Amino acid sequence: MNKILLIIQREYLSRVKKKSFIIMTFLTPLIIAGFYGLIIYFSIKGIADKSDKIAVINENKTLTEKLVSNKNLTFIYKDDSFEHLKKNLSESGFDYILYLPDFNIDTPKGIQLIGTKQAGLSLDGKISDAIEDLIRDYKLKKSGISQEDLDHLKSTVSIDVKKINDTGKEENSSAGASTVIGFIAGVLMFMFIMLYGVQVMRGVIEEKTSRIIEVIISSVKPFQLMMGKIIGIAMVGLTQFLLWIILTISISTLAVSLFIDKEDVKSIAASSSQVSAVSPASQAQITAMNSGPMGDVQKSLEGLDFGKIITVFIFYFLGGYLFYSALYAAIGSAVDSETETQQFMMPVMMPLLLSYALSLSVVNNDPYGPLAFWLSMIPFTSPIAMVVRLPYGVPTWELILSMGILIVGFVGTVWFASRIYRVGILMYGKKASFKEMVKWFWYKG
Amino acid sequence: MLIVKNIVKQYSNHRALDDVSLEVEKGKIFGLLGPNGAGKTSLIRIITQITAPDSGEVIFNGEKLNSNHISQIGYLPEERGLYKKMEIGEQVLYLSKLKGLSTSEATKRIKYWFEKLDMGSWWNKKVEDLSKGMQQKVQFVATVLHNPELIILDEPFSGFDPVNADLIKNEILELNKQGTTFIFSTHRMESVEELCDNIALIDKSKKVLDGAVEDIKASYRNNTYVIEYSGAADFESNWMFDILNTEILKEGKSVKFKLKDAYTVNDVLGTMLPKVKINHLAEVIPSMNDIFIESVKK
Repeated sequence: MNKILLIIQREYLSRVKKKSFIIMTFLTPLIIAGFYGLIIYFSIKGIADKSDKIAVINENKTLTEKLVSNKNLTFIYKDDSFEHLKKNLSESGFDYILYLPDFNIDTPKGIQLIGTKQAGLSLDGKISDAIEDLIRDYKLKKSGISQEDLDHLKSTVSIDVKKINDTGKEENSSAGASTVIGFIAGVLMFMFIMLYGVQVMRGVIEEKTSRIIEVIISSVKPFQLMMGKIIGIAMVGLTQFLLWIILTISISTLAVSLFIDKEDVKSIAASSSQVSAVSPASQAQITAMNSGPMGDVQKSLEGLDFGKIITVFIFYFLGGYLFYSALYAAIGSAVDSETETQQFMMPVMMPLLLSYALSLSVVNNDPYGPLAFWLSMIPFTSPIAMVVRLPYGVPTWELILSMGILIVGFVGTVWFASRIYRVGILMYGKKASFKEMVKWFWYKG
Repeated sequence: MLIVKNIVKQYSNHRALDDVSLEVEKGKIFGLLGPNGAGKTSLIRIITQITAPDSGEVIFNGEKLNSNHISQIGYLPEERGLYKKMEIGEQVLYLSKLKGLSTSEATKRIKYWFEKLDMGSWWNKKVEDLSKGMQQKVQFVATVLHNPELIILDEPFSGFDPVNADLIKNEILELNKQGTTFIFSTHRMESVEELCDNIALIDKSKKVLDGAVEDIKASYRNNTYVIEYSGAADFESNWMFDILNTEILKEGKSVKFKLKDAYTVNDVLGTMLPKVKINHLAEVIPSMNDIFIESVKK
């Protein structure tokens, strides 16, 4: 046991002390926080500043009601001629000219939008919406509906999605936030398993090619060496993960207080203080802020149990990592250099890629369906599938069953891999094949 | 101290060791010889508990070999290396802690050995900055550092220049004088003759020869002598001996001859002495190299 600890210590320290580790660990949160700050900055400043000034030339006799300016669009009616204004557009201070000819109200044709720059799709849509509204209002009024009734007709709808949890309590939830958080957790899980699994494989290959393996193996059992390496690297992964969370929070908090005026901070600080407990969550917020009103995201984030999500994430990271890294160790032991790993990597990568792809499509669309259920049970796919499903809420018994299967799964792969590993590490210069590896598996002693 | 009894090791398509038995006495240097692929490394890996035999057993100091013996055995494999990115001192410390030494004890001993072998300034160097010979020295230190009772060296001199090879050879002899037993696997027969007390020769998975070096050499004597003389007389094969080879020297001749049964070298000298001046007479004792080649060819 003491020897495993020594190995874990070496594997851990030799990696944590590396320059690349230190740079990665400190740079990544800075980049995340940078994006975070930038997006918040632009989403607040940008919306306020960006208002297109549009000169409207109305030659239409029926459409006398004026287009109403809003936050993004400022309509100014001009009596100038279209041709004259067109010529002097760049000096006039307007971004666009909207030309409304005297068209038939039932077939609105010949409307033109001319600017010094190409109008974007969203601007086009917004203006045609505004004109359509104007025409509709005109028609409604003509059929005898008063302005008061008209105003009364307009309403803004926002659905408050709730879900009853296991204990019968209502929780706020939103498919949007769950998708985003599940997506980020899935991507992170995939990244972590790949990144650190490959590190295990590289470590094994390094020991083999540097020929230190036989020296060490005369002091410790191959199984101890393999497990020491796997556990040591897992701790490197956890260290990096925790540092990322802590650094992201502190840098984000700093960035937020630097970038944004007091007014704006109120709303953001309220949400960030409670979601920034985890970096995926703060990323979720960023993404969500782009797609929907902030209030909604904030409310639905409140409904998510981040403590549980993080705990489960760490469990599945460790479980999934152990499951796969043992296989990576077996591959590393069978080859003489990294270039030879290709043919063995495929079968190990496939289930991981598959669960990644399926989780983000099928599982997200139907988080309670049979495919989602089975993907989150099979240990090859459960680490990713389960964390993607988790924000939607997973019944406790399913979670426990899946965790149990994963534990049995990694004990199985570790055992399987160690039998190949103990033979593989002592084979030099032999091209390994799957057939060969099966033979090794059955070797005695 | 080490008894290997009827070891059999079977890999899927070939038998690496076929009923091999041998005994290594305490305080001796034991040569384990054999051509490439004969099964030496397989046997060493069983003694170092890297693999287990299919049948047969290994007795270490009267006990069946078990994991407690790992710290009493030092092993320098033929395929050896070090972590490239790790500092030398740290690395040797790690390896000796894996053998069960405490940090303080290991540090003390590393300093002692580094001083002794002119490696005093190497502690903070990285392996990639050392030459191959320098790395070999580090590996040798790592092998002997935990004061094992039995040290197994597989081709210990490969990669050394003559000066360092001599340095290491003297360390081996000194440790041996203090009571350390060695198993020494090599192809270099001159170092076998120089160092080994006993040998075993393994060929095609079987032990073909073992015993004390002197005894083996004696048993391979075949009554062949070389005589150098000056004088006019010539000798031809006769009833006492067959001449194998004649060389003309600056002064006189050198003749290699093989005695026939029932005659001694004195009989030959008796017939020659009256005719010529004898300058030199020696029995031709086969070298380990000859014995090795002859045994393997059989």
